[in-house]
Amino acid sequence: MKGLAAHLLMTLRLNFRARQAVVYGYLVPVFFLVAFGSVFRSSVPPLLHEMGQLITITILGGACFGMPTAMVSERERGVWRRYRLLPGSTAGLVVSAMVARYLIVLLAVVMQFALAWCLYRTPPPAHPLGELVAFSAACFAFLGMGLMIAMLAGAVPAVQALGQAIFLPMIMIGGVGVPLRALPVWARHVAGFLPGRYAVEALDASYLPGGPGLAGSFFALMALAVIGIAACVAGSRMFRWDAGQKLPRSAMPWIALALAAWAGVGLVADRTGRLALPLDAKAHEGPISNIIAPSTAGNSSEPWRNVTPAEIAAVNFDQLPPDSGVVAPIADNLDDLPADSKERVAKIAALLDHWPPGQVPDIVQRVRNLLSAAAVFDVLEDPDEGAVARVILDDIRRQAPDDELKRILTYIIDHPDSGAVLTRAQALGAQGQITEGAARERMEMYAAKLLERVLGKVHDSGNP
Amino acid sequence: MQNASSSLAVCDLAKSYGSVQAVDFVSFEIAPGEIFGLLGPNGAGKTTLLECTVGLREPDAGTIEIGGIDARKNPGAVKAKIGAVLQSTALQDAMTPREALRLFGAFHARPVAPERLIERFGLGEKADARFETLSGGQRQRLALALAFVNDPALLFLDEPTSGLDPQVRRELHGAIRQFRAEGRSVLLTTHYIEEAHALCDRMAILHRGRIVASGAPEELIARSPSHTRLIVRAARPLDCAALAALPGIFSAVENGGAVTLQTRDTGPAIIELARHLEAGGNELLDLQVKKTSLEDVFIELTGETCA
Repeated sequence: MKGLAAHLLMTLRLNFRARQAVVYGYLVPVFFLVAFGSVFRSSVPPLLHEMGQLITITILGGACFGMPTAMVSERERGVWRRYRLLPGSTAGLVVSAMVARYLIVLLAVVMQFALAWCLYRTPPPAHPLGELVAFSAACFAFLGMGLMIAMLAGAVPAVQALGQAIFLPMIMIGGVGVPLRALPVWARHVAGFLPGRYAVEALDASYLPGGPGLAGSFFALMALAVIGIAACVAGSRMFRWDAGQKLPRSAMPWIALALAAWAGVGLVADRTGRLALPLDAKAHEGPISNIIAPSTAGNSSEPWRNVTPAEIAAVNFDQLPPDSGVVAPIADNLDDLPADSKERVAKIAALLDHWPPGQVPDIVQRVRNLLSAAAVFDVLEDPDEGAVARVILDDIRRQAPDDELKRILTYIIDHPDSGAVLTRAQALGAQGQITEGAARERMEMYAAKLLERVLGKVHDSGNP
Repeated sequence: MQNASSSLAVCDLAKSYGSVQAVDFVSFEIAPGEIFGLLGPNGAGKTTLLECTVGLREPDAGTIEIGGIDARKNPGAVKAKIGAVLQSTALQDAMTPREALRLFGAFHARPVAPERLIERFGLGEKADARFETLSGGQRQRLALALAFVNDPALLFLDEPTSGLDPQVRRELHGAIRQFRAEGRSVLLTTHYIEEAHALCDRMAILHRGRIVASGAPEELIARSPSHTRLIVRAARPLDCAALAALPGIFSAVENGGAVTLQTRDTGPAIIELARHLEAGGNELLDLQVKKTSLEDVFIELTGETCA
């Protein structure tokens, strides 16, 4: 144990002496933090819903690049040959190297939490112990994969190639870089077969205020454990201590075992319906004051009734973005949606009938609530944002006759800072919260787009 | 039959890589306080044999006993008693010699203090310098110091002077002789014949995985069927047939104006040669006497030249 402790401390010391390791281990995570902070500014507070992704990227970098690069470099130099001459098992030294990497990544993650708070006032994890458990499970899974990479790579450049082969799919379609809610349905299913998704899920469960904690991430934790065990077993069976050793033919079944763990976890998740985006009518959002930004110029009377035809005619539609774009999109109809999305959007449409913000007595506020719900889906880049906007606008058209709706919408457009707006719509399945400013801006756009339709300037093809 | 007092006893050790028999049922023993050399051309199986012996590779067959312990059954116990300097082992660039000695010592029950090793191997000036700044000689001295962290009774040195300049090589030879003086045993592999001759008490010549000869260097030379060579140049051409017929001379071969004679009795042969030249009125211009060397023995046994 004395030897392994000395090895652990030496590995940590050497890591902090290597400029490249410090840059990749600590400066790159800061870069990702700032980049995410710039991109996801609309959440309140910024990064609240992206910290799980950020931490997963940091773990992936340390485990799938940092550790195997160090191990392969040491193997090429003959360090592991020298270790083999020591009394005691080589396995102990491998575990020591993995524990050292765990501590190196843990420090980088703690640094990210501190910086996120300093820069964006992003809060620390809601369940710190649960977050530590989730972090440990993700680290275990990814360090196992890192060990496999170290055994498969014949030289340091090969580590980069293999690492990228794992890193990039998880970033792009694995729910790690691009959030799951912004992915198309097929990609969300693919993500279920990649470990990154489960790392983000487990980390978010203990990080987010009101999150379910460890109890709500049991499946994700088990998935990470299974993937980690399979990778560690495969990595240890393929262990190469000498640069001259070739990868044995017996390696193929062990590689297959590690990949089978990914596939098995994905299949179970798919069969148990865990790959769909959550949609829970009973989702707890707390008091309505928590989700509605306060009005700055409220008026409980019905001033919208005083809106004149001239004011309606004065509304300018020239600057509205196209319905098929990324800002304030509206689906032309729901017929072309994939089956999963169609089912989800139908559920959202049904939920609107009982959704409290859609039932408030003040018709203007009710319309604002509905329009800002569409804005929430839009700003959060929900994969079904256009279709959700479609059903919400249809619902609004059923709330009042066209003659009244023209004046209500014109009043909302002419008084963008009046009343209250929603900044989240979790009960409808929107994952995350946006800023009041973003909600008001997009609400105004949706109000104008709906007014165009009520005035007959735009016609939709499929739906009423 | 293995000697109970041997530091190392290897019996019928075999190791193959696919169809290549790298080590072909080799046996030898090393006595306490003995430097034993494994001499052979590149690819003879020296490093494979050494790596099997120290536990880096699993042999296909054979037994290895180190200090009376079965090395194949108790590799951990054996590794605590031996030290090794392997070919081409480096350390991490940022590690210092002092840190390396401390780290490797931590794996042993009674490590030698790093300061003692730093002093013994002349690493004082570079004790806290990064490995990447050490010269080749300093790296090799550090490798020897690392082999000493557990105060071993048996040292394995795999071509320890390969690639070093003559000055550093002489320093290391002195260090290896010092090990013997301390009563340690040494297994040394080398392809430098002079080094083997100068350092080893006994040696084995390895060729294609087999020991083709073993013994003390002088014994190997004495056992050689090769003869002393007399290389003669005279003022007028020499008659090889007449020279070969002289008493004590076995053969005479002309080569580039000189004639090489082979003999076992150098003194009488030179006297007969002088008489022969005088009788023929020929004048001796040059005479070189070349005794049988270890290199001759090596070439004779392996058919290859060494370093």
